[in-house]
Amino acid sequence: MGASAGSDDFKDKYYTGRRNNGIYIPRFRNIGGETNQKDFTRGYGYQGGGGRSDWTKQIAEMAYGAAFKEATLKPGDWQIGLSGFGEILPYQDNKMTLDYNKLDKWGLPTVTFDATLKENELNMRKDMQQQAVEMLENAGFRDVKGHDGDYAIGLGIHEMGTARMGRDRKTSVLNENNQLHDVPNVYVTDGSAMTSAGNVNPSLTYMALTARAANHAVEELKKMNI
Amino acid sequence: MDRRKALRSIGTGIGAIAVTPAVVSLFQSCQSVATYTPVFISENDFKIVSNLMEMIIPKTDIPGAIELKLPEFVDAYIDAVWDEKRKTDFKEAWTAFISSSNKAAGKENAGDLSTADWDAQLAKYLKPGNDVPADEILASQFVNQLRSLTVNAFKTNEFIGEEVLAYAPIPGEQKGCVDLMEATGGKAWSL
Repeated sequence: MGASAGSDDFKDKYYTGRRNNGIYIPRFRNIGGETNQKDFTRGYGYQGGGGRSDWTKQIAEMAYGAAFKEATLKPGDWQIGLSGFGEILPYQDNKMTLDYNKLDKWGLPTVTFDATLKENELNMRKDMQQQAVEMLENAGFRDVKGHDGDYAIGLGIHEMGTARMGRDRKTSVLNENNQLHDVPNVYVTDGSAMTSAGNVNPSLTYMALTARAANHAVEELKKMNI
Repeated sequence: MDRRKALRSIGTGIGAIAVTPAVVSLFQSCQSVATYTPVFISENDFKIVSNLMEMIIPKTDIPGAIELKLPEFVDAYIDAVWDEKRKTDFKEAWTAFISSSNKAAGKENAGDLSTADWDAQLAKYLKPGNDVPADEILASQFVNQLRSLTVNAFKTNEFIGEEVLAYAPIPGEQKGCVDLMEATGGKAWSL
């Protein structure tokens, strides 16, 4: 979900080297005052980038032949894209279950995911597209197009949850040290512990949780507790 | 050809691509064949496809499609990479294109069509602003697909990628806004 656009400017400018990051627009919704929204809670950020890699527009006119060939060797017009990354609220009925009636080839229960986007996310997505289009239009780009691909849970790469952390073993899988309530020598240190990530990339938090859990495991081993 | 370079440049050009053993063997084998026997396209059709590709990317002061062996690449690429459905669709569109070309030239056999006949067909389907009649949409799709295969093969060709486009496999410092002529002499980056 987001928007892309082109520009007729800066045709004499280019870049060298590999850019190791892109554009990042931090969350600007529901952070107080005028930014608060009535249609959705929480928020989203944008990730994106710009470049001159698309040559299809400039060669469309030339169709084929010598002039066309020459055009394919030149950088395309500048293009820019923004994609929204929003929070999925931690709904209790978005869940993963084990199916003991359907075993895999090793005789283990298969995993069933039952999770969807709900009203808050769908409303947020509308705003994501609208704001991206508005930003690019106001910045002076041409051919601004909003895009809206169908979203399936998992496409955002950083979905999390399924083994949530909590104090009560009846309502959570892991304790405060990422350790299984019921099997103390098993630690789960990826995104499973969290039921939501806010809207930011969670990998650094995974690393921090992992370091903390590993430290806890070492201390417990020394005490001969696990 | 250095396999790693080939895979890297094709990855950059087309986006995500699954590197299967078939793709690897494609790159290992494609440069070592002296006389090429097409594997996906029939030998007769291969001549016509080669000539069409040469019209799309003709020889200028830079070698054209045939000299760069782009038809060989496209043939081997489709054979090794595409699934059965894409292959069938491609052949169906090819048949539609040949039948539309014969009809337009008033000839029975595609082998009898002249360069001018083929040129008229390319112009009809590739030049902007021409309305394609409903019964020629498949033929038109074939030509557009052939063009995009040809351009991708051209831009990922080792000689074009290293000697013609601006080539800096280890580019060093990133600078986001530099003068185009100073950076690459007006050429696009290869990678």
